[in-house]
Amino acid sequence: MIAINPIGALVAAAIVLAVVATLWWMLHPPISKVQEIARDAETELERMVGSIIVVFSENIASQHMMALAAKLAKGERSELLAIYVVSVPYSLPPDAEMTDEERRALDALGAAQAIAAKADINLRTETVKARSTKQAVLDIAKRERANLIVLGSFREGKYTGAPLSRTIEEIAAEAKCDVIIGVEGKHGNLLVDQVGFEQIEQGGKAP
Amino acid sequence: MPDQHQPELKRSVTPWGSFSWGYSDVGADIFVGLGLVLGAAAGASNVAFLFAGIVYVCIGLAYTELAATYPVAGGGQYFVMRGLGDFLGFIAGWAVLLDFTIDVTLFAWSCVDYLSEVIPYLLNPIHPWIHFIAVFGLIAGLCLLNVLGVRESTTFNGVVSALDVISETSILFFGFLFAFRPELLVHTMTTQWPSTFNLMLGASYAIISFVGLESISQAAQETQRPASIIPRTSIALILTILIYALAYSNLALGMVPWHPVPLDAMGHAQTLWQWLGNNDNNGKAVALLAKDVPYFGAIAALYVPILGAILLLISSNSGVFGSSRIAYAMANAKLLPSIFQRVHRRFRTPAISIIAFCAIAVIELIFAAWPSLDPGAAAFYAKFFHGEGGIGFLGDLYAFGAATSYSFVFLALIALRMNDPLSPRKFRIPLNIPLTYKGERVLFPVIGVLGFIGILSILVFTIITHDLGRIAGPAWLILGFIIFVVYRRKKGLPVFGSAPHDWRHEQIGILRDAGELELMDEYLARLKEREPAPVAEIG
Repeated sequence: MIAINPIGALVAAAIVLAVVATLWWMLHPPISKVQEIARDAETELERMVGSIIVVFSENIASQHMMALAAKLAKGERSELLAIYVVSVPYSLPPDAEMTDEERRALDALGAAQAIAAKADINLRTETVKARSTKQAVLDIAKRERANLIVLGSFREGKYTGAPLSRTIEEIAAEAKCDVIIGVEGKHGNLLVDQVGFEQIEQGGKAP
Repeated sequence: MPDQHQPELKRSVTPWGSFSWGYSDVGADIFVGLGLVLGAAAGASNVAFLFAGIVYVCIGLAYTELAATYPVAGGGQYFVMRGLGDFLGFIAGWAVLLDFTIDVTLFAWSCVDYLSEVIPYLLNPIHPWIHFIAVFGLIAGLCLLNVLGVRESTTFNGVVSALDVISETSILFFGFLFAFRPELLVHTMTTQWPSTFNLMLGASYAIISFVGLESISQAAQETQRPASIIPRTSIALILTILIYALAYSNLALGMVPWHPVPLDAMGHAQTLWQWLGNNDNNGKAVALLAKDVPYFGAIAALYVPILGAILLLISSNSGVFGSSRIAYAMANAKLLPSIFQRVHRRFRTPAISIIAFCAIAVIELIFAAWPSLDPGAAAFYAKFFHGEGGIGFLGDLYAFGAATSYSFVFLALIALRMNDPLSPRKFRIPLNIPLTYKGERVLFPVIGVLGFIGILSILVFTIITHDLGRIAGPAWLILGFIIFVVYRRKKGLPVFGSAPHDWRHEQIGILRDAGELELMDEYLARLKEREPAPVAEIG
C-alpha cells in the first residue's frame, strides 16, 4: 500500500491548479475594439431575428426578401411567419370574397413555402383581410411580438420616382420593431433567382 | 518583410495554435534535458533548472515584448538586425540556424530513444548502427516531406500538445501524490551535491530544456492579432514549461520508484536519478520516470514513449522548416545568398535550403554517433573530449547556439528600447528605469540587463564545461562569418555596417498587416507629433 505524503499531495494539487489556471488565462484574451463591434452586431442580430414576419400584399412584392429572411432564420434559428394582406376596400364588407386577390395570396405564400422548404426551415403562413395593410401588419407584429418585419419593394413602381410606397413608409415609421426593406436594383435579381420565382408563380407549383 | 506583390500568409493561428506551435518545440525539450541535467548536476539538478529557468523567464519576457511589437516572421534574427544592425543580425540568425539544425538531429535521436521503449531493438548496444540508421532515416524522411511540401497541420500540433499537457500534468500529479518524499529530496540534495564544474555543466544543459520560444515569434506573422495574443501565449508557455521543468527535477530527486531500480553496468545499486541520468537512459528519462509512478505508471508505460516520440518528431520537424524559414528571411534581408530564397518550381518549397540544412544535421549526427560506431573514434573522443559524444555532443551545440542567439536578443531589446521608443509596445517587460535619450523619453529595461548577464554566464559555462561545444560552436560562427563576408563583398554591401532600411515605414506596414489597427493609429499619432508633415502612406 502506498502512503500519501501531505506535502506531495499539496504540490500535486498546486501543479494541476497552476497549469489549468495558466491555460485558462491564455485562452481568454481581452477582445479588441473591432471584435467588440462584431460581437455586439452578432448579439443584436440574434435579438433582431428571434421572430421574423415577411409581408406580402397586392402592393408589396417580397419574394426576394423572403429568400433573405429564410437564410437569416436558418442561421439564427428564428421563427418565421409569412403573411399576405388582402386589402378590402371600404366599398365592400370586411369579409367580402376577393377571389383574384386570394388566389394571388396562395401563389405568394406557396412560393414562400417553397423557399422555406429549400432552406430547410419551418414557415407559418397566414392570409389576412384588412382595410389597411399598414394596420394589419402592425397588429400582427404586436400579436407575434415580432423582432423584425421584412418587406419587399412597391410592386408597381420599381423606379417611378418614389421607390417605396406610402404603406411601406408608414410601416417603417410606426413599427415598434426593426424593419428591413429590400429594394431591387435596376435589373432586379435581388438574392433570388427571379426566373425560378416566375416559374413558381406561373405554375403555382412548389418543388 | 514579404514583398507587397506576394500573397501574404493567412492569419489563421488561434491562441491555442500559437501556444501549440511553441509547445511542440519547447515542450519536447524536457524529454531530452531531464536526463542530461540529472547526469551532470546530480543532487543539484533542481537548482540547475531553477537558475536556467530564471534566465529563461527573462528570455521569454524579452521575446514576448519583441514579438508583440514586431510581429513578423524571422524572430530573434529580425529583432537583432533591427536593433543592432545587419552584421550582428546575421550572427544571431546564424546561431539560431545552428540550433535549428541541432534541433533536427537531437530530437530525431531522442525520438528513436523513446521508440526503443516499445521496440527495444532500436537501442541495441551490440548493433549501434541500427540506432544511427533509424535517426538518419527520420532526418531523411523529414527532409523529403518538407521538400514535397507536406507539413503537419496546426490542428495536429494542437491535438498532440493538448494530449502532452494532460499527460505531463498527470505524470507529475500522480508522481507527487503517490511517490514523492520531501525527506528523500533533502537527503539527495545534501549528500549528492555536485562539484562547481558539474553544476555549471548541469546549468548549461538545463537551458536546452527551454529552447524554442523562437517558434512563437516565427508564427507571429500567421497569428491572429499577434500583438495581443502573443504575449499571452508566450507567458503561458513560459510558465507551463517552467512548472514542468522544476517539478520533474524535484520529483526525480525525491521520488520513491514503484519498481526496483536496475543495477548499474558494474553491478552496483543506483538511485532513480542516477539511473535516469546515465548514458543509456538520458535520452528517454521522462518515459522511464513515468513508468515508475505508482499505479499510473502501468498506463504511462504504454503511451508515454509513443506520445514522447511523436512530440519529439514534431520538434525535429520544426527544426527542418524553421531553418529553411530563417534562411529565407535572412536571404530576403540580404544577409545570406539568394539561393536560400529559391523555391522549387514544382513543389513550391525552398528545397535547396531544406536539403542544405538537413545535410548539416546529418553531419552533426555523424559527429555525435561516431564514437559509438567506431572504437578508434571512441578512443579519440575519450582522449580529447572527455569521451563526450552522442546526445551530449548535440546538447553542447544546442546550448551554445541558444545562449549565443539569446545574448544578442537581450542586447537588441535594450537597443530597440533606446532607439525605437515610438513603436507601441502592447506588452512591456516590468522593472524599467525612465531616461531621456536623444530627446526622447525611454524606459531602460533592468530585466534585459539581468537576463543578458544570466545568459552570458550560461554561454561561459558552456564554453568552460563542454569540450566539443567550445570548438564546434565557435567554428560554426567562423564558417558563417566567412560566408557573410564573401557574400556581402560580392554584392557591394557593407560587412560591418547595415544596408539602408526605412524602419518607420516598415513598422506601419507590420502593424497594418497584423490587423493591429489601434496600435497603428497610436504609432502614426506619435510620429505626427514629432513630424507634423505626413510621415508615410498607410495603404
